[in-house]
Order: sequence, then C-alpha cells, then structure tokens
Amino acid sequence: MSDINDDNHPQHDIGCLQAIEAFYAYLDGELDDPESIAGFEHHLSHCRSCFSRTEMEQALTARIRTSVRRESPALLRARVRRLIDKF
Amino acid sequence: MTDDDRKSFFSTRVEESIDALYGVAVRLVGRGSEAEDLVAETVARAWSAFDSLQDRARFRPWIFRILHNCFISDYRKRSVRPVETPYVEEPDSDDLGTFLNQQPDDFLVWWSNPERAFFNGLLAEQLQSAVDALPDAFRTTVILVNVEGFTYDEAAEVLGVPAGTVRSRMKRGRTLLQKALWEQAKSAGFSAAEEQ
Repeated sequence: MSDINDDNHPQHDIGCLQAIEAFYAYLDGELDDPESIAGFEHHLSHCRSCFSRTEMEQALTARIRTSVRRESPALLRARVRRLIDKF
Repeated sequence: MTDDDRKSFFSTRVEESIDALYGVAVRLVGRGSEAEDLVAETVARAWSAFDSLQDRARFRPWIFRILHNCFISDYRKRSVRPVETPYVEEPDSDDLGTFLNQQPDDFLVWWSNPERAFFNGLLAEQLQSAVDALPDAFRTTVILVNVEGFTYDEAAEVLGVPAGTVRSRMKRGRTLLQKALWEQAKSAGFSAAEEQ
C-alpha cells in the first residue's frame, strides 16, 4: 500500500485501512449504509491505489461472471417441464 | 392458493432459475449428465417440500439450498471432480485480506502496466479453470455471490452457514483466484509478476 493515510487525504477521508475494510462489502453490494458508501466513494475519488484496486476487482468479477455463467441445455429444460407436468 | 396456482408459481420460479441451477450444478459435479440429474432431482425434491416454504419470496435461496443439500447427500461422493484435500475453514479476521491487498503495490504495477493486456486476454477457459480449482466451499460461495448475485444472507441460507462465514469465504476465494491468475501471469512471462 503506497499511500495509507497519507497527507494528501483530507481529514474527513476514511483512509486506505478503513477503505479496505469496506472494500468487498461495497463490491458485493453489501454496504447498505449511504454514509459508508459515500465515504468509500469519496476515498476512491482521490486514492489512486484503492481506485485501481476497485477497478481491477470489478473487472475480474465481471469477467468471471460472463465466463462461468451458462445456459441450461434444451434437453434439461424439456426434462424438467415434463417432470413438473407430472406433479 | 389453488393446486393449479401452486404448480404455476412453482413452474415459473423453476424456469426463472434453471440456468443458474444448472450453472451451479456444473461447478459442483462437473459437466454432463450428473449436473442435469442433480437439477432434475432438486426440482423433484423441491416440489415434495414446497409446502414447507413459508415465504415464497425466498424461493430462490430455498431451491438452491435443496440443490446444495442434494449435492452433499447424494452426489459429492460420486462426483467426477477430483477428490480434493479438505480445506480448513479459517476465522474471519483482518489477515484474510485478498492477495491483492496483501501485495498491492507489485500487483498494481502489473495491473497498471501493459501487462494488463494479459488480464484482458484471459480466455473464458482459463477463468473457468481458476474457479474450478477452488476448494468446494469457496467455489460454491464465489459462484453464488459473484456469478448468481446472491446477497451474503441468501448465500448463507443456501449453504447453511453464518453470513460471516460467507464473507470470509469470499475474501479467501478471491485471494485464491488472484493467486491462480498471478501464477498464470508468471507462466506467461509477464515481468512484474516474474519479479515476485
């Protein structure tokens, strides 16, 4: 971490250590307190290290989502429909 | 709700979830008929237990929990996936930061340099294989949250663990994924990674 709590951060900034605490909750949509979200996003707006980290994690998550997600085979969908018809 | 209404509700919700059910099944047991059998058996079990579903808004985590239980009870032993060494669950703590957080500067040099092209050029197969290489608990958690969009609470309900465990598994799962991709970068000869 190159700039943890460095002097360039304004006093009200949460700093890198607190940003890291909130990092994955933010990325996973688990940070539901508006004040915490605003504080995290404010930190990102002027911390290149945390901004790059967030950008990389978001890109990686998006790539994983598109690479791993798959459509079910038509034969399975037909099989399940037949199964439900018999219920 | 009439029997027809129940069946219609059930059918619609299954249809909405079937791609995701199949996607998770594939990551649990591997491709092929085993994954399809697991989904079909999950649907049959879900219908049998449908009256136990009190809050129908919770249908999605409920049916995924049935899928997961079905996998644990009947499929894991005969899965085509290689047998893995049991992974000891570690407590949620500050030292469970991701690889990225543990070695940020070097990784960010790698990320911000032209080597970033490596990441952008990763094939779907490489990402899939990195996900598949995760131990069961982390793979399932990462897929539920990152791929299928479950909240931590919903994933916890599916897996039958506390939400804090989901949080720690997400951190650890991400760390393992990043390490795997880092190793791929080193193998591909990217300089920033080679210096590690």
